[in-house]
Amino acid sequence: MKKIFLTCMVLGIALALTSGITSAQQKFRIGYAVPLTGTFGRDGSLVRDAYAYWAELVNSKGGIEVKGKKYPVELSFIDDKSIAAENAKLTEKLITDDKVDLILGGFGSDSVFAGSAVAEKYKYPMICGSASSNKLFERGFKYYFSTIGKATEEVRGCVEISQMLSPKPKTGVIIGSDILFTALAAEGYKKYAAQNGIEILHFELFPITLQDYNSMLLKVKQMNPDVLFVGSHLMVAMKTMKALKEIDFTPKMVTFSYGPTVPDFVKSLGKDAEYVVAASEWAPNLPYKDPLFGTARQFNDDYFKKYGRYPDYVEAASAAGAYAMQIAIEKLGITPPVKEADRVRLMEELYKQNLTTFYGVVKFGPDGANEAHPPVAVQIQNGKLRNVFPRDAAEATPWYPMKPWKER
Amino acid sequence: MLLFLQSLLNGILLGGIYAAYSAGFSLIFGVMGVINIFHGEMVMLGAFITYWIFTLFHVDPFLTIPFSIIALFVFGYLVQRFVINRVVEAPPMISYILTFGIHLIIAYTALWVWTADFRTVTTSYSGFNANVGGIIIPYARLATFGLALVVVAGLYVLLYKSEVGRAIQATAQDKEVARLMGVNIRRIYAITFGIGAAITGIAGSLISTYFIIFPQMGLPYTIIAFCVVVLGGMGYIPGALWGGLILGVVQSLTATYLNSGISGAFTFILLFVMLIVRPSGIVGKGIVE
Amino acid sequence: MKKRLAPVIIFIALALLFVPYVGVSGYLIRLFAIIFLWIGKTGCWNLVAGYTGYIDFGAVGYYGIGSYVAALLMAKAHVPFLISILLGGIISGLVALFIGLPTLRLKGAYFGIATLAFAEAMKQIILEFDKTVGIPFFEGPHGITLPIGPGNEFFYYVGFVIMVAVIGITYRVERSKFGYALRAIREAEHAAELSGVDTLKAKTEAYMISAAFLGIIGGIEAYWLTYITPHMVFDVLITIQMVVMSLLGGIGTVLGPVVGASFLTIIYELLHRDFPYTYGIIVGFIVVAVVLLMPKGIAGTLTAKFGTKA
Repeated sequence: MKKIFLTCMVLGIALALTSGITSAQQKFRIGYAVPLTGTFGRDGSLVRDAYAYWAELVNSKGGIEVKGKKYPVELSFIDDKSIAAENAKLTEKLITDDKVDLILGGFGSDSVFAGSAVAEKYKYPMICGSASSNKLFERGFKYYFSTIGKATEEVRGCVEISQMLSPKPKTGVIIGSDILFTALAAEGYKKYAAQNGIEILHFELFPITLQDYNSMLLKVKQMNPDVLFVGSHLMVAMKTMKALKEIDFTPKMVTFSYGPTVPDFVKSLGKDAEYVVAASEWAPNLPYKDPLFGTARQFNDDYFKKYGRYPDYVEAASAAGAYAMQIAIEKLGITPPVKEADRVRLMEELYKQNLTTFYGVVKFGPDGANEAHPPVAVQIQNGKLRNVFPRDAAEATPWYPMKPWKER
Repeated sequence: MLLFLQSLLNGILLGGIYAAYSAGFSLIFGVMGVINIFHGEMVMLGAFITYWIFTLFHVDPFLTIPFSIIALFVFGYLVQRFVINRVVEAPPMISYILTFGIHLIIAYTALWVWTADFRTVTTSYSGFNANVGGIIIPYARLATFGLALVVVAGLYVLLYKSEVGRAIQATAQDKEVARLMGVNIRRIYAITFGIGAAITGIAGSLISTYFIIFPQMGLPYTIIAFCVVVLGGMGYIPGALWGGLILGVVQSLTATYLNSGISGAFTFILLFVMLIVRPSGIVGKGIVE
Repeated sequence: MKKRLAPVIIFIALALLFVPYVGVSGYLIRLFAIIFLWIGKTGCWNLVAGYTGYIDFGAVGYYGIGSYVAALLMAKAHVPFLISILLGGIISGLVALFIGLPTLRLKGAYFGIATLAFAEAMKQIILEFDKTVGIPFFEGPHGITLPIGPGNEFFYYVGFVIMVAVIGITYRVERSKFGYALRAIREAEHAAELSGVDTLKAKTEAYMISAAFLGIIGGIEAYWLTYITPHMVFDVLITIQMVVMSLLGGIGTVLGPVVGASFLTIIYELLHRDFPYTYGIIVGFIVVAVVLLMPKGIAGTLTAKFGTKA
């Protein structure tokens, strides 16, 4: 009698355990390599936060819903130390060693360049919300997708805004750090300045390791341009502002390709950040929404509730990218564990997508870039980022010209 | 003309900044023969001490300097006394790798605890400058330049006019004889390292007001300190001023008249040529092995 | 001791030849290849620093030159892989001759910083060249995109060959008259000079060989990564890793680079996933511990062999 009881117990436990294991296997395992240390450690951590936010939201509803059943999402990420070779190695590790179902993009054009080559080899679609260098789309890859526009296009808003300003700016100077994304942003400025009738007096790329900007900006101050266009990441943007104040140079407008939308910028610079214009791919006042994140404004506020800071557009783009993958999975009815054939179908489906999200429209062109995503420009007014371009989407009028330092 | 003067002034002030945070490196090498690869971390620590005291307690950054001095002195003293002292007798290569290991520990601990966020100290008077005849002179940088002069002068006084200073010099010149004369070598080394750390910490504190700081900022500062000290003469304290000024002025003028990318190339080519042609530094008083 | 070690080494080497066929994951093959190439790089650095005592802080300069030569040849002129990397190596070696002759007259920290200046200058020159001269050649910050190459197995074997080559050369050098001259330079250069050793020639030869192989490895890794920029291939962190791996493993020994490179790479792989921030602290402690607690191990070897040389 005791033996039968014991056997039943053991069997029962075994069954419970195995069913526990089987149901534990019923989830989507998604991996990504992202910088958490090194030059882009700060920026990479934003991407991580964005993906975590998406996963938490999805899991709070039970998971990704496929054919009536819900599969939670499990994220797995590794630090690539802002080194491209590391990203390639780690992407390969996630794919061949950890055997994740799907991968997502990291941060930084160099790293993503390397990682996406690995993803292409193994036929894993990679959607990235943070790497926009044009070269990424010129390789003929089929598995690389980006929710943000190309680097040279991202800055269009910052230049076209000049049409709205009076007196209209006539001259400009373009500077940028000498890494890929910022160099491309600088070239984007050049292209659009020509189209908008702004004469470029000087174009200079400076080393990313440059400690002191004063001497370079001195030269720019002498030329007295109406606008200073800067190809930047967060650190470069912050350094530029500090230098501008130190040499007492206030152009009528200063714009950055990236940096001011990260909360650190306003937090650290305080009042010195006012009037700054920045390129952006998203602003919370835009009239977009989707069933998962809600409206743009809701995403903005909920993000603040979770992290104590407002999201930057890279975070919005990354979350939207994860969402795009989710919708494609739901549409195709793919269940975990995901097989290669599924991922190929996923890739094909992504090209067909025309998706409205809180971030805007996500529609991938034949080269993987998001074709339906017009850039916007934001400006820091009273410590807050306000959408100032294009006019029909703006929530505030641009403050122009920039008030000289000594008058503040 | 105005542009030239402004650029020159920028270069001189920049040179002062370089000198301020490189003097400690020169002192430590001159006395102990140790090339301190975590030198930049001491700049970082000084900067962060000021940042946190400013941010949490709203103390003016200039008033945080005493904290920086004390904290870094104690830090430098202890690290030397208990860790570096064990390898002072060993070949320099050992001190490279030991100080490199310490660099990793400090930089990554700072990164872990303080995160990678970029920070800076922005006060109500940040970026304030004087306008003298059309030439802008930023106050904070002028203060750092002043500091560099004070440090060099102070070290001179210390080394030549004080008991401790004479002991340090004796140790630097001939350790064995100094020991025979009753100098406690271990203590002198520790004190020297503490002093070197403290002055570097002050520089870091001031730097936090006009540069961007973050836990992994140290290594480029170490490399520049290396360059400055070699240009000025290794182990020759006033050389830090010379080296800093040369570097600062060359960088500034090339950035203004050519472009900053070339100024980067120039800096290193200049350094390379200097070393081939005159390794004892610009004034010729550096220690050459 | 070496005699007993030899069959073990040969056995391991042969076993490694079969690893890709045993069905291990693409990631592991990649990891092995990475270790092989680090052993190669570290071995190159060790050849100069370990045997002549000249601590080179600019080794990555040659790696970068090799990367660029190979990348430009393959991307712009469609030159095949093997020829490209060999040319990369040759050009690196020639640059080493040009740079080595003046710098090898310097001692200790001065040599270190001169070589560092060389590497940093190279990076800036490649970044600024196109703009300054007005022709698109190096592509500056845009970097060079190479054609997509074969899979990890290819680089596994290429890495293996390079590793064997570098370690093999170190082994032969150690036993030769040339190696004897190098060690004489390390112990007491002045005395060596006086007794008729052409120290400049010996130092420069070692420096050139090291540079040439670093150049070849640079070309290989450029092809593997398919994309290079000046920041990536002239990164001072690469030199630092070579130094740390050498010193941990045992500088001035043939197997030192093997031990150091494997050890550090594996530790990193094991730790960094779960400890993205703290692994750096752990490695720092390991380095400090090894230096302090293994006075016989590493320091002992060094003090015994080094004497007064920096």
